[in-house]
Amino acid sequence: MPDWTRTTLELIVQELQQPVRVDESFDRRVMVRVRRMQAERRPRGAAGWVGAAVNLSRRPAYAAALAAGVVAVVTVGMLRSRPQTVAGSEPIPVQFVLVAPEARSVTVVGDFNNWGLGDTALVAENHNGVWSVSAPVPAGVHRYAFLVNGKQWVADPTAPRAAGDDFGQPSSALVVEGTPE
Amino acid sequence: MTALVAGAFGRAEAQDPRIGNRLDAPSRKALSALVDSARAQGIPVEPLMEKVYQGLAMGADGSRIVVAVRSLTVEMANAHRVLGAVATTDELKAAASAVHAGVPAVELGKMKKQSGLRRSLTLPFTVLADIVSRGVPVQTAANAIRSLVGAGAHDRDISEFQRNVQVDIEKGAQPKAAAETRVKGAVTTPAARPEKREQE
Repeated sequence: MPDWTRTTLELIVQELQQPVRVDESFDRRVMVRVRRMQAERRPRGAAGWVGAAVNLSRRPAYAAALAAGVVAVVTVGMLRSRPQTVAGSEPIPVQFVLVAPEARSVTVVGDFNNWGLGDTALVAENHNGVWSVSAPVPAGVHRYAFLVNGKQWVADPTAPRAAGDDFGQPSSALVVEGTPE
Repeated sequence: MTALVAGAFGRAEAQDPRIGNRLDAPSRKALSALVDSARAQGIPVEPLMEKVYQGLAMGADGSRIVVAVRSLTVEMANAHRVLGAVATTDELKAAASAVHAGVPAVELGKMKKQSGLRRSLTLPFTVLADIVSRGVPVQTAANAIRSLVGAGAHDRDISEFQRNVQVDIEKGAQPKAAAETRVKGAVTTPAARPEKREQE
């Protein structure tokens, strides 16, 4: 069995062994959501599977089975899916700042703008050499650098370094967390 | 956009102005083969394309870009092997950076097993790569990050640890001493602030 398969299975077993904890309001919140779905999807007064779901909250064994089923579905989904970045999250404004009193222009270039040289310019209007811009960045890990005067690459002195200067120039790493659902 | 380009490297290179004719034919062919190889192994190809864009932006020639992409492919394959199919693209990217910095992939696998499925290790791996590149010995750095992850430290705690180590080194501290000292405070701090944990 390949190493990665063994690792994956071990992680899944580890996850499945974790106790499923729900707070005291879990049943109530589930039923509020179920009733809302019922109101949205079916005509008033219609009977159906939702009626059976009402009983789930009163029977711990069913609730546990439901919870286990959810874990199983999520796990299978992970097994089948290819590695992905955070899906569906909106880009988050990130402020980039570089202190460069002598600079005539500064841009920030990185994975998030496909390293487009002129895509994201910083401004230093009335800030005496403190260049900044707020740019939308998708959730994930990004490599980036500042380009000063269109020719000098500068890493962000306040950010973690990106390992390796493959092209003889420094760069930095940025991790943007996804927005909570 | 990156995904579209990566999905059809051969066709897109002729259409994408960022690539276009800025790469010579042998380099295009080599990159196409690397992308196909990565895709066949289940490795995400977006990071490879980002590396191509970075190389072009920084004025590297085709052969140098091919070397960088080949190196990244190997590092991501190593990371993928030890982290398993549950690792996200971001975790693989960050893990590849750590491998590039000199961290053995097996160390990253240990961290993943220790942390479980739900804990993203993107930021811990990023910080690991950073402090190693600042001179912290690999084993010291790996031990520090494992301690933090094992103690339940959140990303903000690990970011703070990185900043503190960086400042200490910039002020003249020995990298090893800075990491070993700062990790002690970072490991004990999370448990001392339970109210902060609950707000996250």
